[in-house]
Amino acid sequence: MENDGRRKFLGVCLAGATAAAAVAAGYPVFRYLAPKSGESGAQKLVIPAGELREGEARFFEYQGASAVLVKTQKGELVALSAVCTHLGCVVQWVKEKQHFLCPCHAGEFATDGSVLAGPPPRPLAKIPITLLEGNITVG
Amino acid sequence: MSLLKRLYRFVDLRIGVGEITDKELTGYLLPRNINGWYSLGSILLFAFALQVVTGMLLLVYYVPDAEKAFQSVNHIMNGVPYGWLIRLIHAVGSNTMIAVLILHMLSTLAMGSYKSPRELNWVTGFLLFSLVQGISLTGYLAPWSQLSFWATTVATNSVSALPVAGPGMVEFLRGGKLVGPSTLGRFFALHVAFLPLVIGVVIAVHVFLLKRTGISTPPFGKGDTKNAWQGESYRYESHPGGIPFFPDFALHDLSSILIYLAVLFGVVFFWPTMPFTPDAFVPADPFKTPAHIKPEWYFLANYQTLKILPNELLGLTVQGVAMTFLALLPFIDRSPERHPLKRPLFLALVVTGIVLWVGLSVWGHLS
Repeated sequence: MENDGRRKFLGVCLAGATAAAAVAAGYPVFRYLAPKSGESGAQKLVIPAGELREGEARFFEYQGASAVLVKTQKGELVALSAVCTHLGCVVQWVKEKQHFLCPCHAGEFATDGSVLAGPPPRPLAKIPITLLEGNITVG
Repeated sequence: MSLLKRLYRFVDLRIGVGEITDKELTGYLLPRNINGWYSLGSILLFAFALQVVTGMLLLVYYVPDAEKAFQSVNHIMNGVPYGWLIRLIHAVGSNTMIAVLILHMLSTLAMGSYKSPRELNWVTGFLLFSLVQGISLTGYLAPWSQLSFWATTVATNSVSALPVAGPGMVEFLRGGKLVGPSTLGRFFALHVAFLPLVIGVVIAVHVFLLKRTGISTPPFGKGDTKNAWQGESYRYESHPGGIPFFPDFALHDLSSILIYLAVLFGVVFFWPTMPFTPDAFVPADPFKTPAHIKPEWYFLANYQTLKILPNELLGLTVQGVAMTFLALLPFIDRSPERHPLKRPLFLALVVTGIVLWVGLSVWGHLS
């Protein structure tokens, strides 16, 4: 009985030491491989309003992901995430039809981000913008 | 029955794990007078695995391009979290691995374990020693620093002393007349793909030979220390009544590996500049030769031999003869005696060799 207790105690100590060693070795490797925080791209972006004509879209990187700014034919400005909500492909602007098409599985989105057709389960996420003195500030 | 036990039973019923454990671990018996020197092989296996893992991690950020290599290594050291740790383990680890490899060879020499029927173990071990030197040399160029660039220039240049084919071989080795971006490309490929693969295969052959022939009995603490094998037929050297590999000697191996790690981390944390000279912190400049470029400590004796002998060809010949003698030693030294103190001529040769090697290395370092 006494031996069993000692064996169990030593087993627990060994398991504890092994776990501590695994954490000590694993933590630096995890930190080494983990993406650096703060490397997720610009938090705010300023685009001169004059650069975008009606019925056109401009793609850019925002917070580490693809985004798009579109000026509708009615002159309304909308900024959206350009990442399709189906499987993560980047949508393309179809100027003739004035909507977004995801070439991967033919998902279609309107200029307000809502789903028009295809498999996407959710609309494209909207990004806040402000227009001030001829500059569009995204984010 | 616990989940683990059920899982074990599931696997055991299908592939007979228990039988392998009995044969290779608990039933694998080692000589009762086995000593700590026999752990050096396990340390080397561990050290090589550590080099492979840290090397793979370095590949995540390292860029093998002459324009970007130095900057990428600088980024690993200063920009990536714990990048300094991974790189230093790799750089210091290559040095400590070679040190253990030399000790492993010396212990094999001292205990006469290279003698028949283990000639092939020695030859594959010697091949591994040469390959590890090769992988260290090719890795030395990777940081693309002044030290890397000029040490590689000097090391590759010595081949040019070989008659007829020498100059062509140097050009082939470098991928051009001088060390340049093409040298980095081919050295990188050798360092991360070709040599690790070849080393892995030779290690497998080395371990296979060890398992087929059986582990040698140390010549210490025994009356008769002569080699019993007569060469009449294949024989596995078993050790009835010996100590089991697991858990007894495996625990010994583990302690030895922990001591190795303590030394490695001791250097990494308290002497991190050990593998570097000031030239290692300056990007490579093909138009500016730094003064006193020297190779790593394990090449210092070779370097000094080339310096003191009147011409390079003679230096290379002397080294070639010495290396060939060492590689073919089991076929030259055929006496059955294995105890070092009962082999005075051999012991004198080994001691002289060590003194000469250390002396030349120190001289090379100070010159």
